[in-house]
Amino acid sequence: MTRNNEHSASETVRTNNAPANMGTKASSKFTVVLRSIWRRGEGKFALIVLALWLAVSLLSLVWTPKSLWATDGYHVWAKPSAAHWLGTDGTGADVFSWLMAGARTNLFIAVLAVVFAGALGILLMSAMVSRSSALSNVSVVAVDALISIPTVLIALILAVPMGASVVVIIIACGIGYGLNLARIARPQALLAANSDYVASALSYGASGFSVIWHHILPNAMPTIMVQLSLSAGTAVLAESGLTYLGVGVPSGVPSWGHSLATSVKFINVYPLTVLWPGLIVTIVVVALNVFGDVLRDVIDPVTNPELREV
Amino acid sequence: MRFVIRRFLLFVAALLAISVVIFAALRILPGDVASVMAGLNAPPERVAQLRSQMGLDRPLTVQYFSWMGGLLHGDFGTSLLTGRSISSTVAMRASVTFPLIVLGLVVALAIGLTLGVVSTLSTHAAVRSVFHFVAIVGGAIPALWGGLLLILLFGRGTGLLGILPSQGFPEAGWDNFGSALTSLVLPALTVGIIDGASLMRYTRSALGEVMNSGYMDQAMACGYTRRQAALKVGLRLATPQLVSVVGLMFAGMITGVMVIENLFALPGIGAGLVTDLGNRDLIAVQSELFMLAAFFLFVGFLVDLLHRFLDPRLKHAVQGGAQ
Repeated sequence: MTRNNEHSASETVRTNNAPANMGTKASSKFTVVLRSIWRRGEGKFALIVLALWLAVSLLSLVWTPKSLWATDGYHVWAKPSAAHWLGTDGTGADVFSWLMAGARTNLFIAVLAVVFAGALGILLMSAMVSRSSALSNVSVVAVDALISIPTVLIALILAVPMGASVVVIIIACGIGYGLNLARIARPQALLAANSDYVASALSYGASGFSVIWHHILPNAMPTIMVQLSLSAGTAVLAESGLTYLGVGVPSGVPSWGHSLATSVKFINVYPLTVLWPGLIVTIVVVALNVFGDVLRDVIDPVTNPELREV
Repeated sequence: MRFVIRRFLLFVAALLAISVVIFAALRILPGDVASVMAGLNAPPERVAQLRSQMGLDRPLTVQYFSWMGGLLHGDFGTSLLTGRSISSTVAMRASVTFPLIVLGLVVALAIGLTLGVVSTLSTHAAVRSVFHFVAIVGGAIPALWGGLLLILLFGRGTGLLGILPSQGFPEAGWDNFGSALTSLVLPALTVGIIDGASLMRYTRSALGEVMNSGYMDQAMACGYTRRQAALKVGLRLATPQLVSVVGLMFAGMITGVMVIENLFALPGIGAGLVTDLGNRDLIAVQSELFMLAAFFLFVGFLVDLLHRFLDPRLKHAVQGGAQ
C-alpha cells in the first residue's frame, strides 16, 4: 500500500537509498530501523513531518517571524499577507508565530507523556508477568478494571486540585496510555517469561530484575515502541481537546490546541484561522500513526532481515 | 461463575479505590473547598459558614463515609450553586448525552463495520489503500476541528449548505422532538465519523486475523466462497473482540463528546461537568466524577462478561489449562 500524495514531491528530494551497508560497525539497530522506515513511501512522509516538527520546535525557541506578544490593535483578524503569513488573531498577534511556538509545547507534552506512559507501562507489564502470583494477579486485575476509565476523566480529576496545566495532560495521558501499553505488551512478555531461556537463566541464579532487563524487555520492546508512537499521536489530539475544555494548556502558553480553541469563538466571522491549527494537528497525528504502522513492520527481526545482521 | 464473581468483586474494589482518589483530589486543594468556593476576598466568617454548611469541619473519614453512605442511598448531594439535587441535574443532562452517543454509535457502526468489512474483502490494492488512507486520516482529526468543519459545511447561518442547526438544544427538550433530534445530527455525525474511522481499523484487524485462520479454510472447504465465509463465519469469530471495542467506545464517548457538547452548546453531561468545574461547584463535581467513573467501570465489567459469553473458547481454555 503506497500513499501517493502529499509526499510524492519530497520523495525525489533525497534518493540516497544506499543499499544497506552491513559491513560497517557504525550501523546500529537504530539507524537500520530508521533506514528501513525511510525506504518506504509512507515512512518517508512520516519521517519528514516528524523531523520538521522537531526542527520548527527548536527554531521557535530562538526565532519566530514576529514576537508572540507583539499585538497590533489596528490589524486584528488580518488576512494572510507578506507581513503576517497566516494573518493575525483577535489580538493582532501573528498566527504563524503562535503556531510555530505551539509546536514546541506539543512536542514537549507528547514526549513527556510517552516517557511517562512507557515507564508506567513497563513497570505494570513486569508486575503482570512476575513470578509472584499475588503481584501478577493483583496487577492484572487492576489494569483490567482501570483501563475503562478514559484519559479525559483522569485529566478532569487531576484538574480539580491542579487547575489548567501542561502537567495535567502529561500525567493523565501517561496513566491512560501506560495502562493500555501494559495490557498490549503483556502477551509478548508472558511468552518470553514462560520460555526455556528464561527458565535456564533462572536456574543459573539470574535475578528477577536481570531476567526482565535482559530477556523480557527486549522481547516486548517492538510492541512497546509501536504502541508508544501511536500514543504520541493520541497525546497531541488529547492536548487540543483538554485545552479547549479549559483543563489543558493554560492561556498565554502557545500550543496548537490553544490556537484552535481561541479561533473557535470567531468561526462565523473568520473561518480561515480555524483551518491551520486543525490541519497541522491532523498531519502530525497522521505522521505519528503512519510511523507506528511502519515501525511495526520494520522493527521485528523476523520480518526485517537487515536487523538480524546488526 | 467463579469468573463472574471474581470480576464483580474487582469492579467493587475499583469503585471504592476511585472514590477515594476523587475524594482525595478535592481535599488536597490549596485551602479547602469552602475557601475556593467563597472566592478570594471572602471574609473568614463566610468561609467558616460555608465550611460548616458543607460539613467540611468534620474529620475526613466522617466526611468520606457520609458521602459514600449518601451515594449508596442514591443521594448524590445538592449543588450549592443552584440548590438543585445533583441526581436530577445529571438525569436532565443525560437526556441529551445518551441520545447523542447512541446516535453517534449508530453512525460509527455504520461507517466502521461497513468500510472495515469492505476493505478487508476487497481484492483491489487501490481500493484497500484508499480505505487505509481514510481510516488513518479520519482517526487523526481532532474532534473539535471535525465539528468545526461540519459546521462550516452544514451549519445553519454560516455553512455552505446551511441546513442543520449548529448551536444549542431546544428549551422544551424532547417534547419538541423534531427540533431536538435535528440539533443532535451534526454533533452525532462528528463523533460518529471520528470513532467510525477507528472502528474501521479494529474491524479490519479483527477480521483480517480471522481471515488467515484455519476456520476460514474449513468454511471454504465446505463450499463457501471467500466472501460468504467472511460474512458468515469470519464476522461471528470476530464478534467477541469487536463487542469489547464497541462497548468501551460507547463508554468512552461520554467523555469523548465533552468537547463536542461544548462546541455545539448542548447541555449534556460533559459540558455540564466542565461548567461545574469552572464554577467551582465542587460538591457537584465530586459526585459527577464518581458517577462517570462508576459508569465506565460498570461498562468495563459488562464488556468483560459479554466477551466471555460470546467466546466460549476462553472458558474452555481456562478450565482445560493448569488453573
